[in-house]
Amino acid sequence: MQREEDMEKVKKKNRGMIWGLLTSVPELTLLIVLIIAGYAVMGIFSKIQPTQVLNPTDMWIIIVASFVISTAIAMLAVIGGIGGGVIFTPIMLGFTHIDSLVVRSTGLVVAMFSGLISSGPFMRTKLADLKLVFYCGVPITVGALAGSVAAIYLHKYMGPVGDGYVRLSLGILMLVVAYFLVSGGGKTEYPQPKSIDPLSKKLGLNGFYWEASLGKVVHYDLTNAIPGGIMFIALGFIAGFFGLGGGAFLTATLNLVMMAPVKIAAACSGVLLAISNATAIWTYITYGALIAIFAAPWMLGQVVGGILGAYLLIRIKAGFVRKVLIVILLVSSIKLLMRGVEGAFGITLPF
Amino acid sequence: MEEEKPKAQLAALIYGEIVYWGVLLGSVIVIIGSVLAFFGNNYVPASYWLSAIWKGESVHEIWKGATGALPMGHWYLAHLTTGDGLTAFGLSLGVFAVLPALLLSSAALFKDKDVVYGTLALIGGIVVLIAVLGIIPMPS
Repeated sequence: MQREEDMEKVKKKNRGMIWGLLTSVPELTLLIVLIIAGYAVMGIFSKIQPTQVLNPTDMWIIIVASFVISTAIAMLAVIGGIGGGVIFTPIMLGFTHIDSLVVRSTGLVVAMFSGLISSGPFMRTKLADLKLVFYCGVPITVGALAGSVAAIYLHKYMGPVGDGYVRLSLGILMLVVAYFLVSGGGKTEYPQPKSIDPLSKKLGLNGFYWEASLGKVVHYDLTNAIPGGIMFIALGFIAGFFGLGGGAFLTATLNLVMMAPVKIAAACSGVLLAISNATAIWTYITYGALIAIFAAPWMLGQVVGGILGAYLLIRIKAGFVRKVLIVILLVSSIKLLMRGVEGAFGITLPF
Repeated sequence: MEEEKPKAQLAALIYGEIVYWGVLLGSVIVIIGSVLAFFGNNYVPASYWLSAIWKGESVHEIWKGATGALPMGHWYLAHLTTGDGLTAFGLSLGVFAVLPALLLSSAALFKDKDVVYGTLALIGGIVVLIAVLGIIPMPS
C-alpha cells in the first residue's frame, strides 16, 4: 500500500517536471508539436511511391522509429555522460548493412546535435568555460577535418577491406569506452593541479562557476595546455573518422589531463564535441555521404532528446543507465570485431 | 555575505544563443522539408533514397543511380523548393550556425580587448569555413 502511494507520488512529480519543462521552454513544446503534426501529415497524406525494397508504410515507420530511437539515445547519452554517436555508430555498423560512410555521417549528426542544442544553456549558466572551449576548439577542429577527409579516402581506395579495418578498430575503441564507463575513468570532482605550466599561465586558463550542490562559487586553475592540445587533435581525428563524438574521452582529457572540475569538463566536452563534429560533417555533406531524408529524423530526435535530457534527467540516477550503456557497448563491440575480422581478412566466421 | 552567481560574458552568450536558435531554426526547416518529401516534391524521390540506403548500396552507387555522379558540393542550394533539398538545407543550417557563432564571438572578444581568445575563436572559425567551402580535394 505504502509502495503504491510512493509510486503515485513519483508519477505526479514526474508529470509536474515534464509540464514545468514544457511551459518553461516553449520552443521545445512548439518543436515537439510540429514534429508530431509533421509525421502525422506524412503518414496520412503520403504520396510516396513503393519500391521493390520498401512500401510507403515501411518508409514512414523507418522515419518515425528513427526519431523515437534517436530521442531515446540522446536521453540515454546525456545521463550516461557520453555522446549519442558512441551508441548509434557501432550498432548501425555492427548490425546493419547500411554503407559505412552513410552510417558515419549520420553518426556525426547523432553525436553533434544534442551537444549543439545544449551549448546555449551551458554558455548561459557559465558551465562551459569559453577560454577552455576556444583553446581546445582549434586543435579539435583541425583533427576532425583531417579525420573526415581520411575517412573518405580510405573508403574510396580500400573499399570493403578498409571498412573491415574501420569496424575492427571501432570495436576496440568501444571496448575502451565501455572500460571508461565501468571504471568511471578515474574522474575527480575538483582536481587540484600540483603545478601550472607556463603556457596555461600565459593563456590565463582559469575560471570560476556556480556550484549548485555546494551553494557557492568554485574557482579552478587548468594546466597541461600542450599535452591537452595534442590529445585534442587526436580526439578530433577519431570523431571525424569514425563518425562519433567520443564525449567520454573529451571529458576524461579535460578532467584528468587539464584538471578541469568534472562539471566544467562535461559541459565543455559537449560544446567541443559539437564544434568538432560540425567541422567534420561538411566533408561528408559536400561529398554526398549525408543523405538528408535518412538523417533528418535522427537530427530531430537529438534536438528534442538533448533538451529533455539536459533539463529533466539530472535528477534521475545514472547507475542503471550506465549499466545499460555498458551492455550495449559490449554487445556492439563484439559484433563490430566479428564483422571487422570478416571484412579486413576475408574470413567468414561461423556465428 | 552570500555569494552571487557569476554571469556569463557577452562572447559566451553570443556563441551559445546563435548555435541554440540556429539549430532550432534548422530543425523547423527539416520538418517542413521532410513533409514536402513525403508529398512527392523531390529532387530525387524519397523512396529511392530510403530504399537504396536500406539495400546497403554505397554512397557512389546511391548517387550514380540518382543523378549519375557524386554531388561534390552543396547540391541542395539549387533545389530549395524540393523536399529533399530543403531537408538537406535545414540540416546544414543547423550545423552552419557554429560558423557565425564563432566569428561573432571572436568579434566580441576583440571588442573586449581579449586578443588571444578572439584570435583562437577566429582560427576555429576559419577551420570551419574551410570545411564548409569544401576546398580540400576529394576523390570522385
